[in-house]
Amino acid sequence: MAAEPVGSATRAANSNAAPGDGLSAPLFHSLVDRLGDGGRFVVLDLAAARPATVRLLSQFRCRYEVAELADAIDILNAEQDPRRLRTLAEAALPERRREPTDIVLCWDLLNYLNRPALTAVMESIASRSRAGTLVHALVYYAERRMPERPSCFLPLDDQRIEIVAPSGGERAAPRYSPEDLASCMPRYAVDRARLLRNGMQEFLFRL
Amino acid sequence: MFEMSKKGGTDKPAADTAQRSEAVVRPETTASRGPAGHAVIVASIHIDGDLRGEEDLLIEGEVNGTVQLKNNSLTIGPQGKVRADVYAHSIYVDGFQEGDLYGSERVAIRKGAQVRGNVTSPRVSLEDGAKFKGSIEMDPQAVQGANSRNAPKPAPSQAAPRPAPATQKFGDPGAPKPETPPAVKSAS
Repeated sequence: MAAEPVGSATRAANSNAAPGDGLSAPLFHSLVDRLGDGGRFVVLDLAAARPATVRLLSQFRCRYEVAELADAIDILNAEQDPRRLRTLAEAALPERRREPTDIVLCWDLLNYLNRPALTAVMESIASRSRAGTLVHALVYYAERRMPERPSCFLPLDDQRIEIVAPSGGERAAPRYSPEDLASCMPRYAVDRARLLRNGMQEFLFRL
Repeated sequence: MFEMSKKGGTDKPAADTAQRSEAVVRPETTASRGPAGHAVIVASIHIDGDLRGEEDLLIEGEVNGTVQLKNNSLTIGPQGKVRADVYAHSIYVDGFQEGDLYGSERVAIRKGAQVRGNVTSPRVSLEDGAKFKGSIEMDPQAVQGANSRNAPKPAPSQAAPRPAPATQKFGDPGAPKPETPPAVKSAS
């Protein structure tokens, strides 16, 4: 696992940070490279659709599915019953289609799900994906605090990522370790992981 | 000219159907976007059924069913609420849309829009601030296939029989006069 110099590419919403001040995320970069191999992919984005993501993916042969999971986080975290939780997780994802998912973009959303919710969401995703599906995720690892709500991640033209933190407070980060994630996502294996310069752990899981 | 066929057609009592699907389509004079002269379904109007047309349309009211403007553009205005699959040349969404969008030329989801459905179009744009849940087809081959399936059929010849009674055409002087006041009328 390689580490990059400590720094931050995170800016608060409405800050005056210079545009293009992005975070290098090599595993995201490798995923985008994979999209360019000419094949067709189904990409599931757990975050909200952003113009930058639409612009990036429009260069490739893909179907872009958007879950906007942030809207369902509180409901998912509050549910105790595993069966109802699974139903809620399924409802939080886009309508199921015949074509399986190939690539999943989680961004920082896994940090905002408690363990049962994380398990339910990733299990629902696994059940609509093909073997070998790649899941990209960013996990707060070095930092003990994280923004109260999920940040906005904007892919830049050079395949770095600009992170726009929401305005508002902070909360404790769960700091999920690879072992935590392995127990919550038993059907996925860590393909690669990198510690980024902003203290987040970048993961690529493989189903 | 607009044509509307009601889902359920003659199964519904006439008075109920007229009330539920009454619509006013008039030339647009105040919208800030779109070409002058396109038709408008105003905010107070609620339509249940299939809406077809051969001119550009702005929806500020509520439409449930299907919208087909295959050679023209549809704008769902900020007050518009559409729960329908939409087939049009170009689709611009500023309001609420639930259902699939097929734009043979483009689909633009603007700031303030709320869209839940699947989008298929060769050109798709989405502005920051829009709420979107669903999917966007970005594979040119898949888009082309969908557009071919949804391409406008050749117009029927003059000798062809008129549509079934459940379908009404308004603004067409040759159309039979409906017994109830026109559900949709064109003032253009």
